[in-house]
Amino acid sequence: MKLRITALTVLTALLSCLLLSACGGDTAVGNGTSVSTTTVVTLPEGQPSQPSTSAGSYSLEDIPAYSGTPYVELSGNVPGFADGDMTTNSFEDYSPLDSLGRCGVAYACIGVDLMPTEDRGSISSVTPTGWQNAQYDCVNGKYLYNRCHLIGFQLAGENANKQNLITGTRYLNVDGMLPFENLVADYVKETENHVLYRVTPVFEGDNLVADGVQMEALSVEDSGEDVCFNVFVYNVQPGVVIDYATGASRLDDAAPAVSGDAESVSYVLNTSSKKFHDPSCSNAGSISGKNREDYTGTRDALISQGYEPCGQCKP
Amino acid sequence: MMIAIVCIDDSGGMLFNRRRQSQDRLLREDLLREAAGKTLWMNAYSARQFKGALPETVRAEEDFLDRAGSGELCFVENRDLAPYAGKLEGLIVYRWNRQYPADLFFTVPLENWTLVRQEEFAGSSHEKITKEVYSK
Repeated sequence: MKLRITALTVLTALLSCLLLSACGGDTAVGNGTSVSTTTVVTLPEGQPSQPSTSAGSYSLEDIPAYSGTPYVELSGNVPGFADGDMTTNSFEDYSPLDSLGRCGVAYACIGVDLMPTEDRGSISSVTPTGWQNAQYDCVNGKYLYNRCHLIGFQLAGENANKQNLITGTRYLNVDGMLPFENLVADYVKETENHVLYRVTPVFEGDNLVADGVQMEALSVEDSGEDVCFNVFVYNVQPGVVIDYATGASRLDDAAPAVSGDAESVSYVLNTSSKKFHDPSCSNAGSISGKNREDYTGTRDALISQGYEPCGQCKP
Repeated sequence: MMIAIVCIDDSGGMLFNRRRQSQDRLLREDLLREAAGKTLWMNAYSARQFKGALPETVRAEEDFLDRAGSGELCFVENRDLAPYAGKLEGLIVYRWNRQYPADLFFTVPLENWTLVRQEEFAGSSHEKITKEVYSK
């Protein structure tokens, strides 16, 4: 049975940040404070409320422009949970929608008791801000936007929860967020431990579509030995230009046009992950035989078939 | 010469932020069956996931890739295998059949290897794990 708590979420600028050192490595933590979040959580079973400080001690200006990789690490990959947040009691907490109807921070302690026991239900009744969907040949599945869970369904079993669904590109959903959700879900299922998990949509100004999401996670029982990350995942779609103020979109004129004159190149396809690689890419060499296909043709033709370039070799 | 054992995701990833991408109790059991009767090398990081349930044939040393000899196995989780590619006589690749974040990849191209055995099994927390055994 799920345990849901109520929480008061306050967005504010913070002067300082209490950062866990459990998964700290040799990388310094950033000092900026432009995007910060304080969440006051009422812990279940009578535990006292504890303030937690997001590792959002970064500035949007500090985040590099998207350059072919779905995410960038923040603060040396160290999440910003406070010591007082460490709990082995599962909970999930979603921020109220703001005055523009936008989602805020979604925060959870993921445990097996929070995970879904039934198949996913319909979420089509929810219309998140900026939902102006469109179809493009260069998008896997055609549709540019997904109703993108902040706390993934496989983690908390939330269906049509409007406080947990944002307008996200297919690329954000599948290439960006899903691998991190898989990592957390499989760790929790395997160990039956808990993972503190926070997803913060980052909107610039009054934009209705988020620039991306900050994803933070820390395994509790082993103090981050197995799960520890803090990343910003871009809400972009290669080949498509998005107006983040409204959600409108168009094909990227700057992207190479699909043309019969386009140069044919040899690629290696992974028909399972729908990624294409340069033949010299080490990832290409490790593709299972049943999922591997050698291909000669244009890059654009591949993209129009729903394939996406490998993030390592960037073909 | 040695036989390397790796676990990789759909992109050939092995590690993210100095941590293994995933783990599975039944995979560990299968790995120990593969290594039965042979010396199995790994480092302390890998040995910890077995939680002490290791046979006497297991040797945990930080320089295990340099110390492993012919016919011996190396379970490699957080080391780049590329510098040791010439020392490999065999490979056992476990595929999670999942996509995880990764910043360390399995970099040994498999084109020049012969797949001699392939098995699929359900893990304790993974729906389908594929094991591929390669020889040169």
